[in-house]
Amino acid sequence: MKTDIVQLFENPYLALGVSIAIIMAYLSVNAIMLIWLERKLSARIQRRIGPQRGPFGLMQQIFDMGKLLSKELLTPEHANKLLYVIAPILVFAPVVALSSLFPITSTYIFHDFNIAIVLILAISGINVIGIFLAGWGSNNKYALLGAVRSVAQNISYEIPLILSVIPIVMITRTMSLYDITLAQETYPFILVQPIALIIFIISATAETNRAPFDIPEAESELVAGFHTEYSGMRFGLFFFAEYSNMIFACALATVLFLGGWRGPLLPDAVWFFIKVYALIVLMMWFRWTFPRLRFDQLMKFAWVVLVPLSLINLLITTLVLKIV
Amino acid sequence: MLEQAVIYTFVALVLIGGILAAFSRQILYVIIGLGISLLGLAGLFLNLGSPFVAAMQVLIYIGGITVAIVFAMMLSIAMSIRPPDPNPQKLGFAIACAVIFFGAVAHLIRGAQFQQIASPASEKAWSVGALGHALLTHYNVVFEALSLVLLLAIIGAILIARRALPKENS
Repeated sequence: MKTDIVQLFENPYLALGVSIAIIMAYLSVNAIMLIWLERKLSARIQRRIGPQRGPFGLMQQIFDMGKLLSKELLTPEHANKLLYVIAPILVFAPVVALSSLFPITSTYIFHDFNIAIVLILAISGINVIGIFLAGWGSNNKYALLGAVRSVAQNISYEIPLILSVIPIVMITRTMSLYDITLAQETYPFILVQPIALIIFIISATAETNRAPFDIPEAESELVAGFHTEYSGMRFGLFFFAEYSNMIFACALATVLFLGGWRGPLLPDAVWFFIKVYALIVLMMWFRWTFPRLRFDQLMKFAWVVLVPLSLINLLITTLVLKIV
Repeated sequence: MLEQAVIYTFVALVLIGGILAAFSRQILYVIIGLGISLLGLAGLFLNLGSPFVAAMQVLIYIGGITVAIVFAMMLSIAMSIRPPDPNPQKLGFAIACAVIFFGAVAHLIRGAQFQQIASPASEKAWSVGALGHALLTHYNVVFEALSLVLLLAIIGAILIARRALPKENS
């Protein structure tokens, strides 16, 4: 049977604090390890060695963290101070809130929301505003251009993302992530909804602003896009947000399509993380394999290919569910 | 005590956002104010035991409408031009509208007979089946009317876009 961690505490606010502390600790360590993994993988793909300090180059990340933490926090002269400071927090905070929703094991979960999917779709839209404020508040034309591109991209890819999640809700008739995992007892939904999974992964890659959809921060055109003017740990927060968003998107794909914690022999949590990190390696593989799209190609791909495809998929799912 | 504090924090968010939206000269602050106000409202819904309405509030009004306004604004020149000077005639008209609207709503709320009912168990009330059932029976008319409004908005957007095209070509 499942136990809500939140209900183990008498005081709900204490439960909230403990949950946030656990999630923050995990996300920070996770981001550091993912940056290491990304650098090692990209090195392997480009026939380089990659970071080498310490065993397997692991110490490199510790040094980088120290560097980021000790750097001066520069604020551009004519920047909008308040927006400039708030923006990185606004980009990172939604992911922290959303990470509490995932059922990592069959026994212990933070809290089982019966409208988890609506919550996820709702709160993950907030970081677009953060990105826009970052670009606008920086008072830099490259940052503003990056923000403009990011908002356009996020709006466009959110539609196929939502449309690819709906078939799962229609099959399971529930929006709780725990119940969706339970519903995949006999087979994971990748077998019945392969198109939805592909649309989901593509849209999620676009939502996290990663290559080949990284035109909001295309370094050859825009210096660093919306975070051009950020330094030190404020820049670090954007970095954390990107890798936490990856974890979040891959965890959602795991729960919706790959059967969540389900798997033979190994404990629940191990299976969950094996699936999540396999998807993350896939996303990193994308980044170092595909070239960056041009902006019009990107928009066209979303509106002309992905949206109709996901609508057709939705229609077919409806018909099949009606007939069966 | 703490619950009271949380409720008043959300009320404060709604009011601060509203003030920012109404009195700011810079259009970006107006939008941010609107977002803050809507977020506070979502928090109030959550406090009233309607997590689904709160989530929908965030999904539609913050993730959808606020972002769409930001999107429309950043593609126009509204952000880079100086805001126009306040027009006393418009200001008076706006204040009159606000006072009339507030008075009407306040009057309705004061006159309404609210029944205190036990909030239904969240597990049952917000299941997909219950929501779908409610939308297609009790709220059917509202649901259809909303679809009609959205359809009109889409047709309007297409009309505006079509009229703009030939000008660009010539």
